[in-house]
Amino acid sequence: MKKHLIRLLTAVGLVCFGIAVAKTYDKYQNTEHSRVPRKRTATTAYAGSFNPFVKQASAATSGSSADKIPNNTLEPRPVTIGPQTDDLRLYPTITKGMRTPFDLWRYYGRGASSYTSPVLPMRFEQWVSFHERQKPQLMEDVREYMSGRYNFSGEAIPGQFMSGGKPIMAGPVARLPKGVDSYEQLASMKPAEIKEQDVFPFKPIAHPLQSSAHMVFPESWIKAHPEHRRIDVDMDIPEEYLPEFPPPLFLTTHKELGDVSNGQEITLDNYYEIFDGLLTPEQMEGVKELLRPSPTTWFNHTEHRVTLEPSKGVACMDCHVNGHTNGAIELGPDSRPNMARLRTDTPTMRGNFNLMQLSSKRSIRSMDHFSEVEEYFDGDPGMQQAIGPRAVKREVTNRMADFNAILDYPPAPKLDPLMRLIPDLATEQELRGEALFNGKAQCAKCHYGPAFVDDYMHDLQVERFYVGRPEGPIKTFPLRGIKDSPPYLHDGRCPTLHDTVEFFNIVLALNLNEQEKEDLVAYMLCL
Amino acid sequence: MVDKLSRFGQSPTFLRIALGIVYFHFGILKFFPDLSPAEMLASQTIMSLSWQWLDAHSALRVLAIFECAIGAGLLLNVFMRTTFVLFLLHMIGTFLPLYYLPEYAFKISPLAPTLEGQYILKNIVFVAAGWTVLMPYVLPRKASPEAIA
Repeated sequence: MKKHLIRLLTAVGLVCFGIAVAKTYDKYQNTEHSRVPRKRTATTAYAGSFNPFVKQASAATSGSSADKIPNNTLEPRPVTIGPQTDDLRLYPTITKGMRTPFDLWRYYGRGASSYTSPVLPMRFEQWVSFHERQKPQLMEDVREYMSGRYNFSGEAIPGQFMSGGKPIMAGPVARLPKGVDSYEQLASMKPAEIKEQDVFPFKPIAHPLQSSAHMVFPESWIKAHPEHRRIDVDMDIPEEYLPEFPPPLFLTTHKELGDVSNGQEITLDNYYEIFDGLLTPEQMEGVKELLRPSPTTWFNHTEHRVTLEPSKGVACMDCHVNGHTNGAIELGPDSRPNMARLRTDTPTMRGNFNLMQLSSKRSIRSMDHFSEVEEYFDGDPGMQQAIGPRAVKREVTNRMADFNAILDYPPAPKLDPLMRLIPDLATEQELRGEALFNGKAQCAKCHYGPAFVDDYMHDLQVERFYVGRPEGPIKTFPLRGIKDSPPYLHDGRCPTLHDTVEFFNIVLALNLNEQEKEDLVAYMLCL
Repeated sequence: MVDKLSRFGQSPTFLRIALGIVYFHFGILKFFPDLSPAEMLASQTIMSLSWQWLDAHSALRVLAIFECAIGAGLLLNVFMRTTFVLFLLHMIGTFLPLYYLPEYAFKISPLAPTLEGQYILKNIVFVAAGWTVLMPYVLPRKASPEAIA
């Protein structure tokens, strides 16, 4: 009997202890050390603030005019404006180099700091051996994950090529989840249904190793630049679904010359020979700066790096090769912690002269500012003492912008000066696609003008379709020359134009049939 | 009548309670994300052990349940054989980061551990304590000569 009583009291003690720890956790969550964002409501924000009406109303006696103001209108309304994170998980506690969940969109939280440091969590030798052990399994898991989401069959659209001749892949390649037979069936479902059944095929893609993240180059680039091979991670999208390498380079100032690169990759070694006599001195200096490598957070001469040998860094045109893109990925530099940063594939610089807003989320308004911030991609002063400060002065970034401003779109022979299809050159299907683009499919609401862009940021509220952290507004991407820059959307979650059409058909509830979707793709291949 | 004492002698009550408190306390912290200082090491090890089948969140949950069960068993003095099995499995698990995450456990392997490495290696004291506390409940009990007489 006594033994049972002691056990009962101990059990009660354990429950009380558990409650005490839970209370401590609540207290901890409101400290600066906690990675859980603080919860607050409008009620608490207004509590104790001065409100002259409160005094008048409480001082008023019956029969006075103040009685006409009901007291309750002066009370703060309990509106929740704090985090809406009930279905999300807190980012896992990890350090640099450790594996991160592939479904990072389901996570949230604060970082320990906005700043990083040039210190590795272990000695460099250990860092290398850690990744030698982790990378093979990681990449196997990445490939399995990606092939679970996409059917990268390598099937091309017959007779369709990028400007430099690389075949364009057919789609949609995003796999339909079990229980869904067709994209038409999916498009007929309501957002809440899709979310509840967890059948949305176009969830975001995270960086395959987001704890370090940074630039990951495609294999075609690595073959030419082995100094950029990473010890920790490789590209997760097959080459066929990436832009061509090296891509052609067209200049607004020399349309008559066509591709001025002559099929070469522009480098510090050959730029002078290629451009001398074609560019102005300012543009020449600009292209040289765009080709000059700068140390970055993980490509540098210190041990805080992801290359076996010390690295000179990365140049703008290492990702924006020939002023276009090689499909390298990075994280958008606009948020912290690093795990909250959205994956971005490299956008083309072609036609930047037509954009009033640059960068997916940062709303950068000038190309010299763009050149300046892009110089130091992670933008982290915590690294500066070790790898060097931002060195490029304003007059130099202006010149980088001077060159950036003459990178032209690839030829689009079927378009007239007002960007309409020339009926004599276009097929019936392409013309139907154009009509849909400007009508039922509503593409032209955001994609119009010479660059097929509205220069706004839009929040598509894609989180309506899956449990995840909202991504917020993202800049409209210009569609001129779009066939040359797969994969699509900021993080490349739509590997082909077909996937992109399916994505918008669902997200904007367009109710397009199979034929209409094909027509739209045919039209976009003309842009 | 079978003597309650095994050949290992009586289980030391104070040591049993001390072990139980540490297990239960450090175990319950793991139910709350971002509260346990062992979160990274523990979750990464279990994730590796499960071939990444478990995510960090679930890994920590599993460990929290494990540790609380051991702690409660020790404190309540119930299901001691089961507690012993859980304890053994847990102890094996606590040493696994030395294999799975050696770079985090050693400055230079094997004689210069990091703080995390020391945190793991000191579990040898836990092994000894747990053995002393739990073995009397586990090994076949033998009757004392007095009881037989």
